[in-house]
Amino acid sequence: MTATSKKRWVDYLILGLTVFLVFCLLFEKHIHPPTIVLWLGKWHPVVLHFPIVLVIVTVIWHLTGKKVPYLLLAASCVLALTTAITGFLLGLENGTKGELLFWHQWLGVAVAVGLVIWYWLSSSKNNNPIITKGIGLILLVLIGFTGHYGGMITHGEDFLALPNSRRPEKIPANPLIYQHIVGRILDDKCISCHNPNKSKGELLMTNLRHVLKGGESGNTVIPGVPEESELIRRLHLPLEDEEHMPPEGETPLSYSEIEILERWIALGATDSLRLQDLDQNDPLAVLINEMMEPDPIEKWNALTVLADSTLERLSSDYVTITRLANTTNALRVAMYKPPVYDPKTLMDLKPISENIVELDLSGLPIGAEEMALVSGFSNLEWLEIDRTPVTDTDIDTLKTLSKLQLLKIFDTKIGDKSIALLNNWEDLQQLYIWQTNISEEALNLLKEERSDLRISTGIDESLRSEFAALDSIVEPEEK
Amino acid sequence: MKKDTSEQENPLKVNRRHFFSQLSVGIGSLALGSLLIPDLFKSSAQTLATNPLGIPHFAPKAKRIIYLFQAGAPSQLETFDYKPTLIKRMGEDLPDSIRNGQRLTGMTSGQESFPLMPSAAKFRQYGNSGAWISDFFPHIGKIADDICIIRSMHTEAINHDPAITFFQTGSQQSGRPSMGSWMSYGLGSENKNLPSFVVLTSRGKGNSQGLYSKLWSSGFLDSKHQGVLLRAGKNPVLYLNDPEGISRSDKRHLLDQVSSLNKLHHVETGDDEIESRIAQYEMAYRMQMSVPDVMDISKESEATIKLYGEDCQVPGTYAANCLQARRLAENGVRFIQLYHQGWDQHGNLPNEMAGQAKDVDKASAALVLDLKQRGMLEDTLVIWGGEFGRSNYCQGKFDPKNYGRDHHPRAFSIWMAGGGIKPGITYGETDEFGYNIIKNPVHINDFHATLMHSMGLDHEQLTYKYQGRRFRLTDVAGNVVKDLLT
Repeated sequence: MTATSKKRWVDYLILGLTVFLVFCLLFEKHIHPPTIVLWLGKWHPVVLHFPIVLVIVTVIWHLTGKKVPYLLLAASCVLALTTAITGFLLGLENGTKGELLFWHQWLGVAVAVGLVIWYWLSSSKNNNPIITKGIGLILLVLIGFTGHYGGMITHGEDFLALPNSRRPEKIPANPLIYQHIVGRILDDKCISCHNPNKSKGELLMTNLRHVLKGGESGNTVIPGVPEESELIRRLHLPLEDEEHMPPEGETPLSYSEIEILERWIALGATDSLRLQDLDQNDPLAVLINEMMEPDPIEKWNALTVLADSTLERLSSDYVTITRLANTTNALRVAMYKPPVYDPKTLMDLKPISENIVELDLSGLPIGAEEMALVSGFSNLEWLEIDRTPVTDTDIDTLKTLSKLQLLKIFDTKIGDKSIALLNNWEDLQQLYIWQTNISEEALNLLKEERSDLRISTGIDESLRSEFAALDSIVEPEEK
Repeated sequence: MKKDTSEQENPLKVNRRHFFSQLSVGIGSLALGSLLIPDLFKSSAQTLATNPLGIPHFAPKAKRIIYLFQAGAPSQLETFDYKPTLIKRMGEDLPDSIRNGQRLTGMTSGQESFPLMPSAAKFRQYGNSGAWISDFFPHIGKIADDICIIRSMHTEAINHDPAITFFQTGSQQSGRPSMGSWMSYGLGSENKNLPSFVVLTSRGKGNSQGLYSKLWSSGFLDSKHQGVLLRAGKNPVLYLNDPEGISRSDKRHLLDQVSSLNKLHHVETGDDEIESRIAQYEMAYRMQMSVPDVMDISKESEATIKLYGEDCQVPGTYAANCLQARRLAENGVRFIQLYHQGWDQHGNLPNEMAGQAKDVDKASAALVLDLKQRGMLEDTLVIWGGEFGRSNYCQGKFDPKNYGRDHHPRAFSIWMAGGGIKPGITYGETDEFGYNIIKNPVHINDFHATLMHSMGLDHEQLTYKYQGRRFRLTDVAGNVVKDLLT
């Protein structure tokens, strides 16, 4: 292969990659690459270091007035484009692009495009070194910013900030109220101005000793007396008040955060109090528990990603598949009675077994075959198979459903044999079981063993008769 | 071509952005083929077809709502807001300091005095929660621990039409989509064989106000979100059945032909309403099977019939509609709206209310019990209430046996059950006269925001752009009442 043909080959490569990158950017909304292509995006953090180094070397080389070796420039160019494309693919994983990602993406693209222009200029006849030097300088600046934004995306915005303002770890099960809760609020909202580097109003909030010592207005925190504590007074001032903390432009504390601080001060502002030292109905405990509660859909984060098109394909007029929320891959599947029932419609759901969290098959003529399929829905939490012909043997296969929380199985033929199965589901919280062949004794046994389980045996007979007997208007009693 | 409904107001107008996005698919196919991005064309077509709506913003507590609307505005003072002070001060004039400039309707503004009138019905406490409920509603008393009574609802409207329109659409002036339509728009249909928004009406003997189909209109939303009125009797949906001599296969053939013509027309014009129409025809075809199935209560057990009351076998009664509501909910209808007319007691209140209560008390409570035993109270929200409250003073002749009450927007009571709402609580409080709210007011906008929250929708995010601005059910107001949520 001659040098020119090699060069032409590189030219095509660069052109191709550039077109591809531009295409991706222009039509981003329409692109849904297959997982294997998305996976290429994972290489972004590995690839990106090469062009950074190469571009810096190339620019310095060029600035010293020497002729840049062709290979160096071509390699920087190809690698920058590859980095930009992999970065783009990686970015697709985020549904909506935040500010950081936005800037990182477009700065990165600018670097790649800048290099392409340089490459193109340097291979054209009338190449003016002043222009390419200018491009080189701009590229250095761009790379700096791109890298910085990228760093903030991976390591967090405050990665470069001082050590003590870093986000604390996850709140432990029985947190120390000062260290894990109050401290966290102060870290989030106050410490950026009240730290050894800034100490606005001579107040440090880096640790409890400093907080109690107070700042120039004094009395920042008076243990036991929140209403006289300067901290609380300022938090409660109207937002536009000069003395309101945090000052204008900073995120104010939420009401529950303020209340947590107040109640913690009222309890003596100590650092030794733990959550479990409080009564569980204590307002402070309630607030803290609320704060610690994870978003319920987080537990489904690990589920396989499903495309909307897949759900669309598996749905039909009688099978509805919906996401439990628009950001999750956990599904609810409901089937309604078609004129002609065909088990195949259900069997088609096999590929999405583990994503199904809620399933409603009530009123359908289902049996062993369907139950065998359902037994593979390992993440199932909610199952409705009421008003169906299922029997003890049919549902025996369901014992694999370890996460089941709610089961509706009223108006079926199941009997005492299923009691062991019902008892076996440790996570089961609610059971609707009336109008079955289960005997009174067996049911009482289950009730005894599983006091945590809410068993609905239908409307109480006495309530039924009372209800039927009641006339809607209670006659006024005579005085 | 289908649009992202929230973004585009006129689906016929292909604007610059759309032009480019259409172009992109063309260029894309030339430039790349589908080797690298096999899903490109398929899924871009799909992203356009199924817009991002149709799924909740976050995991919902409620999947459907049954709204037992008591049209005409039942008096809060004879239902859930117990005011012993009115007994003590019976006949005294409403103090100006309490009325505080409240505008009155033309029906009592000419009255010389406003004598306070206590409830004709006695009150008693029910359940572990000790909720106060009047003797007109002993069955609802039995479910006191399952319901959440809100005594601090308030509205701005003082007349029926604007008030009921406000409740249904979030605006006193008609033209906006009904809340059932908003839910259908935001969440899509659970069962594609039935409309996602169904309306059932019934009428008591009490003084009635009109009901108009505008209350369940989809307004500027796609017409598929419109409420479908199911009528009592042989033909629940008019013109749904095939005419005599037409078989189902003939019908199928006819639909196929019509649909192919419609599709041609759609290609020509790009009008989305055509697609909507094709889909509606198809649904109507399936509804020919599903509606009779849902409406047929012959398989309901004796015990169920007894629970709702014998009336539930008489089509068109409130009790029948309650039973129907449960069946519709079981079959995945998102929003089931009942209206019971006859609650406008300007006069003869004790008698009329007793009659109205007899219509609804047992069936409403039965519905809650029935849903509860079926585990459906977990994901179905039931609401009971009217469009405003009634005055604490007497309208017309002062007679404790036969009095009337005028409209009152400042405070009234409703109850809700299930669907992520705290059971067994009474929320909000009015002053001792039952005139002004003194604790935890809930405005209609807040009520809407809360309902949407239970359904997994953020009331600030669910918008539709029309006539140059984005509309919401709560428009520019509304706060989720967190205290009511489990």
